[in-house]
Amino acid sequence: MNGIRMCAAGALFGLLVAGGAPTATAELEGTNGCQASGAFLDGGFTVDAATIGDDLVTVLRSDTVAWQGSVAAPPGEYSGSISVELPPPFGDVEIDSWSGDSQSTSNEGVREYDLPSLVPAGVEFEVVGSHTDQNGTCSGYVRMEVEGGAFDSPLTAISLVGTVATGAGLAAMLRPLLRPVPKKVV
Amino acid sequence: MNVGRIIGTAVLGFLFFLFLAVDLVLFGIVALNSVLVTLLPVLGLIAGAVLGGIVGRRRADV
Repeated sequence: MNGIRMCAAGALFGLLVAGGAPTATAELEGTNGCQASGAFLDGGFTVDAATIGDDLVTVLRSDTVAWQGSVAAPPGEYSGSISVELPPPFGDVEIDSWSGDSQSTSNEGVREYDLPSLVPAGVEFEVVGSHTDQNGTCSGYVRMEVEGGAFDSPLTAISLVGTVATGAGLAAMLRPLLRPVPKKVV
Repeated sequence: MNVGRIIGTAVLGFLFFLFLAVDLVLFGIVALNSVLVTLLPVLGLIAGAVLGGIVGRRRADV
């Protein structure tokens, strides 16, 4: 049953579910014939990693995803992981990883997700995944965005308050720059 | 040279531009993994220190 997870794209869609983002694009490439797709049941659409290209996909904050993934040949020993990319130089944060030994070439499942309100909406982030088995490698990414507006998350208000407070403090400290410099009396 | 002022404005510049970068991300203007998110706070730190130094020099001249 770990066949789906063998496919990085399958994992990516799992992440889509787990991450619960609304706008997404996906790219998938590899040497082991990997394929993956996910049907967002509440959203009413299906994403196929092989054909989605750079199209945008809107994902609801909470949904149920029926996913499936496959590789071309029995994978044998396999491993892989999924991460969210952070700004440089912070690298990636691993969300999930997998490894094992299987002769199954495909897998499928259904997963529900419900993102907390703290997760900001409208923020584009990139989820990357990779999978390696005895037949080759497969890697892909999905650019995701949670459906909704910026103020759906309390983080936005907190950040705006921080911006105003530090901006005011900075302006106060730099206030002398705005005044004309009096000429020195010799 | 007022070192305290330079450090103060550098820290405030860093925080201001850090919050600004977070705002840009939260409003969907830049992606989370954009290098701009990293660069803005650093630029704020440098600009704050430079401007703090200028302010300190001006006050010393007065």
